[in-house]
Amino acid sequence: MAGMIRSYALAPLRLLALALLAVAGLAASVPLMASVAVVITYPAAVGVCRRLTGFSRRLALAWGGVAVETPYQSGSAPVPAQRADGWYEHDGQLFKSPAYPRFFLRMKWLSDDPATARDWGWLVLLAPLGAVPALLGPLLIVAGVAALAGAAGVSAAAASGSEAAAGGGTWSWLPTAATSWGGVLDGRPTWLAVAAGLAAVAAGALAGPMLLRAHGLWSRYWLGHASRSWWHTSGFGEWLRRGGHDTWKAVLLLGLSLTGFAVFALTLLLTMVSGGFGIAWISYAVRPMMNQYRRLCAKWGGVELPDPYRPREPLGEPGPDGRYRVGRSLYATRDGAIRAGFFPWVLGDPATWRDLAWMATAPLVALCAVLPGALIGVGYFGLFWQALFWPLWGLPLFLITGFWVSPWYCWQLLALAFPALAAVPGWVSVPVGLLLGLLGVVLARPVLYTIVGWALLLLAPGRTARLSERVEHLAQTRADAVDAQSAELRRIERDLHDGAQARLVAVGLSLGTVEQLMDRDPAAARELLAQARETSAAALSDLRDLVRGIHPPVLAERGLVDAVRALALDAALPVDVHAELPGQPPAPIATAAYFAVAEALANAARHAGAHRVGVDIRHVGGLLRVTVTDDGHGGADPARGSGLRGLRRRLATFDGTLALHSPQGGPTVLTMEIPCVLSSPRTSTS
Amino acid sequence: MRVVLAEDLYLLREGLVRLLEAHGCTVAAAVETGPDLLTALLAHRPDVAVVDVRLPPTNTDEGLRAALDARRQVPGLPVLVLSQHVEQLYARELLADGTGGIGYLLKDRVFNADQFLDAVRRVAAGGTAMDPEVIAKLMRQPVRNAPLARLTPREREVLALMAEGRSNAAIAQQLFLSDSAVGKHTNSIFTKLDLAPSDDDNRRVLAVLAYLNA
Repeated sequence: MAGMIRSYALAPLRLLALALLAVAGLAASVPLMASVAVVITYPAAVGVCRRLTGFSRRLALAWGGVAVETPYQSGSAPVPAQRADGWYEHDGQLFKSPAYPRFFLRMKWLSDDPATARDWGWLVLLAPLGAVPALLGPLLIVAGVAALAGAAGVSAAAASGSEAAAGGGTWSWLPTAATSWGGVLDGRPTWLAVAAGLAAVAAGALAGPMLLRAHGLWSRYWLGHASRSWWHTSGFGEWLRRGGHDTWKAVLLLGLSLTGFAVFALTLLLTMVSGGFGIAWISYAVRPMMNQYRRLCAKWGGVELPDPYRPREPLGEPGPDGRYRVGRSLYATRDGAIRAGFFPWVLGDPATWRDLAWMATAPLVALCAVLPGALIGVGYFGLFWQALFWPLWGLPLFLITGFWVSPWYCWQLLALAFPALAAVPGWVSVPVGLLLGLLGVVLARPVLYTIVGWALLLLAPGRTARLSERVEHLAQTRADAVDAQSAELRRIERDLHDGAQARLVAVGLSLGTVEQLMDRDPAAARELLAQARETSAAALSDLRDLVRGIHPPVLAERGLVDAVRALALDAALPVDVHAELPGQPPAPIATAAYFAVAEALANAARHAGAHRVGVDIRHVGGLLRVTVTDDGHGGADPARGSGLRGLRRRLATFDGTLALHSPQGGPTVLTMEIPCVLSSPRTSTS
Repeated sequence: MRVVLAEDLYLLREGLVRLLEAHGCTVAAAVETGPDLLTALLAHRPDVAVVDVRLPPTNTDEGLRAALDARRQVPGLPVLVLSQHVEQLYARELLADGTGGIGYLLKDRVFNADQFLDAVRRVAAGGTAMDPEVIAKLMRQPVRNAPLARLTPREREVLALMAEGRSNAAIAQQLFLSDSAVGKHTNSIFTKLDLAPSDDDNRRVLAVLAYLNA
C-alpha cells in the first residue's frame, strides 16, 4: 500500500524528469551531431548517444516496468588484417599502423548498425515527442493547483481589494497565472474553480503510473528490436529515410554545381583577359572535381559515369632534324614539346567542352534540389514539427515569464509573407506541414534523378570516347588472351616433352633392347616388356591429365552442365548443382565457365572452410550466369589471389564479368556473367 | 562367349577383336558408330558388349547412350564400357538401374589381357567391374553420407574392392584375409547399408551404388 502511494506520488516528478531528460537529450544531440561531423570523434559520439539511450532503456524498466532489449549488433567491430608485406589496407589505401584502418572499420561497423540511426532518431525526435503526452500528468496537477490558487486569489482580491498579483520572488508566476485564471473565472462561482482544480490534480496524480507505463512502451517501440515496430518492418521508415538522404544528396550536388558555375565564370573571365590560355589550364585543373561529381552521381543515381577524358599520347621520337613534332609545330627540346602538347591534348578533347557546357548549365538544373529541401524544411520541420515540439518550450516559457508564443508561430510567419494564409486557422498548419514534408520526400528521388540525368547527358563519355575506350579494352583483352594462350601452349609443350614424349622414348628403347634380348635371355626380355607396358600406361595417364587441363573430355561429350556435375562429384566437398540451361553455350565460353567453376570449388575447399557449396547455372537476358555459393567464413579478398585475377582476365576475353561478394562470416558468393547465345542442345560436334 | 564390339579406331578395334578371339570369345559384330551399335546389340543379343564411350557420328558420348538405350530395351544386357577417361558421373548412370552386368574401365586396362578378360567374364556373368581409378577418386573424398560413415576402415576397403567387381576370394587374396573373414565383412557391409538379403550379386551392385551415391 505504501509502495503504491509512493509510486503515485513520485509519478508526476518522474514524468517531469523524463521530459527534462528529453530536452537535455535534444540539447546534447547538437554537440554530438557536431562531433559526428568532426569524424574523428564519431565513435565517442555514438558511445555517448548509446549511453543516453541506454539510460532511457533503464528508466523504461525502472519507472514504466517495461523491459527494453538492447538492439545493437552483437560481437565486436572487425579488425584489419595485415597484408603479407606488413601493411594494413583500407579502401585501397595502405597504412603502416593498424590504428587508422581499425578506426575506419569500427566507424563503419557502428554506422552500419541500424540501431545507431534509431538511437539518433530517439534523441532528436522521438524522446521529445514521447515527452509531450508524458507532461500531461504534471501539467494537470500544476493547472489544478493554479486553479485552486486562483480561486483563493479571487476571494482574497474580493476581500481586500489589494493587488494579489504583486508578490515577488521565484514563485511570482503563480499569482500571475492565478490572476489569469481569476480572469477566466470572473463571474463564476468559486466552488466551481475549486472543484475543477481538485479534479485536475486528482486526474494528474492518478494518471501518473499509467503515463509512465505508456512512456515505457513508447521507449520499447523505438529503442527495442527493429522487428517490434511497424515503422521499420513495413519499410515506411526506410522510405522516409531514403527520401531524406536523396534530398541532402540533391542539395550537395547543387552545391557542387554552383562551384562548377563559379569555375565557368572564372574561365570566361580568364579567357577574356588571357585570350584562351586559361581554358586549358582551368578545365584540366578541375577534372578531379568533375570526376568526383561523376562518382557521386554514379553512386547515388545508380548509373555508369566513367572518366571520359582522352589519355595523353606519349611524345613520339624526334625527326631526322632532331626536333619534335606536335601538331603542325616543331620543337627543339623534349620538354618544350611536352609543354606545348598539353594544349592540343586538353582543348582537342571533346570532354573538356562538354565539362564547360555542364558547368554553365548545371546550377539551373540542380536548382530543383531546392524544392524537396524547402518542402521538407518548411513543411515538416517548420509547420508540422514546431507545432508538436512547442509544448516542450512554449508552455514553460509562458509559465515562467508569462510570455505567450502561439504554437502556430511558423504559420503566422508564413502569413506575413502570404497574407491570404492569415484567414486559415493555425492548427491547419500541422496536417499541411506533414503533407508538404511527404510531398518533399516523394519529390526527392525524381529531383535527384533529374540532376543525375543532366550529368549523364553532358558528363558521360561521348560516342567517340566510348568507341576509343572500347578499342582500348579490346586491345587489352586480346593481348591478354594471346599471352594466356601462348603460355598455355608452352605449358602443354613442356608437359608433353617431360611426360608422355619421354615415356614413349623409354618404351621404344625397351622394345629395341627386347628385340636383341629375345633369343639370348628370354626371361630378361619378358621383364623389360612388362616394364614397357607399365611405362606406356604411365604415358597414357600423363596424356589424360594433360587433356583434362586443356579441354576436359566430359565437356566435349556432354557440355557445360554435365561437366560441372562431374566436377561436383569429384570435389572434396558436397556440391549441389542446379542448372537451367535450355541449350549449349559456345565451346570457348563453356570451357572458360568450366574452369572458373573448378577454380571456385577449389578455393571454397581450400580457403573458405566451407561445408557445402552450391553451383547455379542459368541463362538470363543474354547472359550466361554462373553463381558459386559456399557457406564458409567469407572474407575473401578479390585483390588477393592470382587465381581470381586470372579468371577475371580469362572472362574479360568474352566481355564476361566476375563479381565476388564475401563479407566477414560468409557466405561467399561468386557470380560470373558472360554474354552469349545458346545453341540448341546436342548439335555440337567436336 | 559372344561379344559385340564398338570402337571407332581401326587399330584398336582390330586389336580388341584379336585379343577377344585369342581368349575363346566369338566377336558377333564389330561396329564403329553409335547407331550401328544399337542395331547390332538388339539384333545379336550378345553375352557381353564391349563399347567405347566416344563414337561417331557426333563424337560425344554416343557409345554410352547407345549402350544405355539397349539396356533399357533388353534389361540386364551386360555392357563393358571403355573410355580414355573415367567419370563418376558416367559410372552412376551406368549403375543406376541396379541390375548389374556393368563394367566401366579405362582403355589402358586392355594392356593386361588376363585382367581385362577377367573383367569381361565378370560382366558377362552379371557382376560389375569398376575401374580402380573411379574407386580411387571416391576414396579421396571425405565420407558424405551417413550409412557409409558407419563402416569401419576395413569394411570400406572391402567395399572399394567389391565396387571394382572383385569376388570374395580375390578380395581375400588382396587384403591377406581368410575367405570367411571377407564373408563376415561383406555381410556386415550389407547390414549397415540396409540391403535386404537377396541374390548376392545384386546386393553387391547395390552396395556399389550406395558407395557411388555417397
